[in-house]
Amino acid sequence: MAKFVTIGERIHCISPVIRRAMDERDPEPILKRAKEQLDAGATYLDLNIGPAENDGEDLMKWAVKLLQENFDNVPLALDTANKKAIEAGISVYNRSKGKPIVNSADAGGRIENIDLAAANDAIVIALCSAEGIAADNDERMMHCQNMLERGMMLGMEPTDLWFDPLFLVVKGMQDKQMEVLEAIKMFSDMGLNSTGGLSNNSNGMPKNIRPIMDSALVAMAMMQGLTSAIVNPCDLRLMETIKSCDVFKNNTLYADSYLEL
Amino acid sequence: MPFNRKPQKFNASIKEVVIGCGEKAITLGGESVFPFYTFDGDMKNAPKVGVEISDMGIPEVAGIKAYYEGCTTMGEIAKKASEMEGADFVCLRLEGGDPNGANKSVEELVAVVKEVADAIDVPLAVEGCKNVEKDSELLAKVAEALQGKNALILSAREENYKAVGAAAGLAYEQKVGAESAVDINLAKQLNVVTTQLGVKADNIVMNVGTASAGYGYEYVVSTMDRIKAAALSQGDAMLQMPIVTPVSSETWGVKESMASEEDMPEWGPVEERGISMEVMTASADLACGSDAVILMHPQSVATISKMIKELM
Repeated sequence: MAKFVTIGERIHCISPVIRRAMDERDPEPILKRAKEQLDAGATYLDLNIGPAENDGEDLMKWAVKLLQENFDNVPLALDTANKKAIEAGISVYNRSKGKPIVNSADAGGRIENIDLAAANDAIVIALCSAEGIAADNDERMMHCQNMLERGMMLGMEPTDLWFDPLFLVVKGMQDKQMEVLEAIKMFSDMGLNSTGGLSNNSNGMPKNIRPIMDSALVAMAMMQGLTSAIVNPCDLRLMETIKSCDVFKNNTLYADSYLEL
Repeated sequence: MPFNRKPQKFNASIKEVVIGCGEKAITLGGESVFPFYTFDGDMKNAPKVGVEISDMGIPEVAGIKAYYEGCTTMGEIAKKASEMEGADFVCLRLEGGDPNGANKSVEELVAVVKEVADAIDVPLAVEGCKNVEKDSELLAKVAEALQGKNALILSAREENYKAVGAAAGLAYEQKVGAESAVDINLAKQLNVVTTQLGVKADNIVMNVGTASAGYGYEYVVSTMDRIKAAALSQGDAMLQMPIVTPVSSETWGVKESMASEEDMPEWGPVEERGISMEVMTASADLACGSDAVILMHPQSVATISKMIKELM
């Protein structure tokens, strides 16, 4: 099995620093966050430019080139609601370190992002929800099937659809947590890849608690077969947990210095 | 349904490590397929064969003695070794340095190394005496003496990788052999700490150890197999160094190669057995993923190099 894929989530336009850097095309804050995440062990970097309705295409091209030129063609997840911006980003994207990820499609209004990924030989994150959170795993798996079939009809490899069960917040939806984990097992049993915004589970919790909850959940989810997650790689406890689980799963060969790799 | 052959392709490859200088320099590694899986893809560089000589002179094996007949100095022995049919490089083993053996001084051994290096134009590997303290000093001095030769220094071990790695890999820009004894986790760990020392990953080769065929050899198989699988299918950069395996030092010491024909008449001529053990072990090492083997007997060197040519 391949190593767990971490997608660093910290280049996000919701952060005021990043927002301003994107608006002003100021490389420094973006490069700084990219470096921090890569040093911490991120495989992919998520590049979230928000809705980017006005200059999305230009911004995405600029940011893709900026990151790949500075960090040895680091593989990227292109994260925006603006489809043209994703295509523009892919047009300048270097694939030597991995295919681009389209973040994201769902089984509802954003299903056409699967078509976009198929047309561009990209990976797509496929959120197993349509209008609102899936009520149960029957619904989740129905969405999964629909999106899988759509992708395959368009010639995609099944492993290029990374299914997202949609991690739910513990505070308020504690009783749904095991269901999410069971969905991951079902993806895994079908030989499918999976990912998701894992830290959503600990939203609203005290800062010192979140790494503990996130680490526990990632270990349980990896046991169920989760193959990737969108995370904050600067969370040391979380990254140590992922690396340790990769050892237990025989995804990576143990060496005494494994945490330093 | 027709059979559709699906090549097993990997996005990773074994790093290429160059040993020696000039026209006769050799490149180890580079493959992105399992050993000799040329039907899946390109092996890029054929595995190489080294000829072992020792500072203790020519061993008491008739065929080897006959080959080196007339050679009186280490320089002459080395030159003759480099001219052996199928030889790609020479490996000088400094077994005389062992404090529990001949205990030759570092100066004396470094003089031998220089004499050998000056006598040959093929790449040179130098193996220590296996005593970790002595090797720390000896191999550092050897690395210094061989400046500009791009030699392979065997080996840095868990106990002395800092001294040997720093001298060979950093100060004098030689290639560092990282040695572990059939311990896959240590093999990886040594590569990690050697690179953390500042030695570039493409200046490191691994000696992951071998056993003579029949002496726990299955551990060698699983170790090399697992290393190649991690390097290629898991893209583990800390295991993508080529593997060099000294074979003769293992195989000529087992009873099958040593017991006399008087004691073991049913086993046949002793020298033939020795060659068989060397050839069997080397071919198995290569099939498991060694990028180079080090042998002693001219007949073994010729046989293994022919096998490699025919499998490529």
